Amino acid sequence: MAPDFELLEHTSDIGVLARGATRGEALVAASQGLVSILADPAGFSPVEERYFKAAGRDEAAQVVNWLNEILFFFDTEGMVFVEFAIDSWTENDISGHARGERLDIDRHEFRTAVKAATYHQFESHETPDGWEIRVFVDV
Amino acid sequence: MHLEKIDDYRWLIPRTYKAGMRTDTLVFANEKLLEAIRRDQSLEQAANIAMLPGIVGRALAMPDIHQGYGFPIGGVAAVDEQHGVVSPGGVGFDINCGVRLLGSSLTRQDVKPKLRDLVHQLFRDVPSGTGGSGHLHISDGDLNHVLEKGPRWAIEHDMGSEADLDHTEERGCIAGADPSAVSARAKQRGKPQLGTLGSGNHFLEVEYVDEIFDEQTAAQYRLAKDRIVLLIHTGSRGLGHQVCTDYVAQLDEAMRRYDLHVPDRQLACAPIHSPEGQRYLKAMAASANFAWTNRQCIAHAARGAFKRIFGEDTHMPVIYDVAHNIAKLETHTVGDQKKRVLVHRKGATRAFPGQPVFIPGSMGTASYFLLGQEGSMRETFGSACHGAGRVLSRSAAKKGATAKEIQKELESRGIMVQSLTREGLAEEKPEAYKDIEAVVDVVHNAGLAARVARLRPLGVIKG
Repeated sequence: MAPDFELLEHTSDIGVLARGATRGEALVAASQGLVSILADPAGFSPVEERYFKAAGRDEAAQVVNWLNEILFFFDTEGMVFVEFAIDSWTENDISGHARGERLDIDRHEFRTAVKAATYHQFESHETPDGWEIRVFVDV
Repeated sequence: MHLEKIDDYRWLIPRTYKAGMRTDTLVFANEKLLEAIRRDQSLEQAANIAMLPGIVGRALAMPDIHQGYGFPIGGVAAVDEQHGVVSPGGVGFDINCGVRLLGSSLTRQDVKPKLRDLVHQLFRDVPSGTGGSGHLHISDGDLNHVLEKGPRWAIEHDMGSEADLDHTEERGCIAGADPSAVSARAKQRGKPQLGTLGSGNHFLEVEYVDEIFDEQTAAQYRLAKDRIVLLIHTGSRGLGHQVCTDYVAQLDEAMRRYDLHVPDRQLACAPIHSPEGQRYLKAMAASANFAWTNRQCIAHAARGAFKRIFGEDTHMPVIYDVAHNIAKLETHTVGDQKKRVLVHRKGATRAFPGQPVFIPGSMGTASYFLLGQEGSMRETFGSACHGAGRVLSRSAAKKGATAKEIQKELESRGIMVQSLTREGLAEEKPEAYKDIEAVVDVVHNAGLAARVARLRPLGVIKG
């Protein structure tokens, strides 16, 4: 199955339910879901690349830290990523890279800033069709 | 969930509700607000905070309570300084998100004909800082001074006066702040954002005094009917968000070492006196100081905008500045004993007797100026609610009227809005929040804070 995501209702925050054929694909979909909260990805090109490493004691920590990397690059450089690739996912960390473009408020559609990805109601599990990850972010 | 009704404004979740609760949770609400509160998981979360190790008195839920992550927003918990824990989730990602109210010598009649120019000027002069930087460019050394000293740094750089500090909670500086406890990443994230508003529910609102309930107190703060005030709502921006992110991860690890268990990982905590707990408190204090400086710099920019439109002699004193996402060491009476406790206020404001309390409503409705009352010391560790509290999720809020329609509707009521994003407008539409009148009614009648004045918006600037 192709990676895809849907945004979930939560009174103050937003959830991302992401699916993929594999755990890595589901994480790519979750990353795209997070980006879609920040800005309309349609206007961005994959012109700049950044490398990611997200360590953590378990899968939840690794995924939450990976998503927080996206927010870190947005806050510090205005980077909005549209392509993600997971290079390796070990017991201790996830390595990967992402391509995107810096936000230009006159040219791009900014939506809302996201403070952080959280552990709240986090889920990651295999499904009959592949893999599913659910994560809530604080906006 | 079955709640025990105490009176028209108080409800109890008894500690027997679920295993692990160490105390009862007291919910402040009326029947109507409770209906809205029951629609999400906030009461479950309010019960969960009663599980915090070392909690004293009751866990508390304010009438604007809504679902957060771990702690509900509008939750208060005091823990014993000696035996309790500190939880970054009990403060929130936006450390010292808060409100500052500026008074003015202007009236509604002065502002109305120039409202459009004023809103445009404020929008230009107070950057949102989204995905980039604001107008201030500070060095690493400056940032460390901000983290250590708070708004005194801004005053030393001609962005305000000593009087501003006199009217800021803690004079804008929590002692013990340590810049070295703030990660390089947090500093990198926050440095370009000093003096910026941010997006989401953060805003600047030009308001006028619509009604006065307590003439004497209003006069003390030079508030009269139709007088113009400016409300600033923002926090510690990316710096605080990263500090919370960093320490939730560290305390999540530390909990295993201290054999601590919480019902939601987002409530990760550590003993107050552990090295991890102490380090978080030093970083939290630094982030809080950054947030007070942020509001100071924004106040300075906003004063400049007002002066450009209304002349150099426009005077805008700080009425008060108060945090609503914070943990503070305070002395309170628990049972019949005075105790040092760490009060976590997440989406709750300090409301000590005689202290100004601001409860902003949703965009386009009213905001309230109240004065903290003795009841807050008896029942809520000196706390009251911080806003109207969301009832609609952001996506639900976006259904229905478009941003343009909302803007038009507000303009038809004489309220001018300028927002960086269309989505931000729709997400924050008035219907997305609880009825501010009902929320204030509960706080007033429960004796936590008393109404002084109602403020209505004329101009709104959103990041």
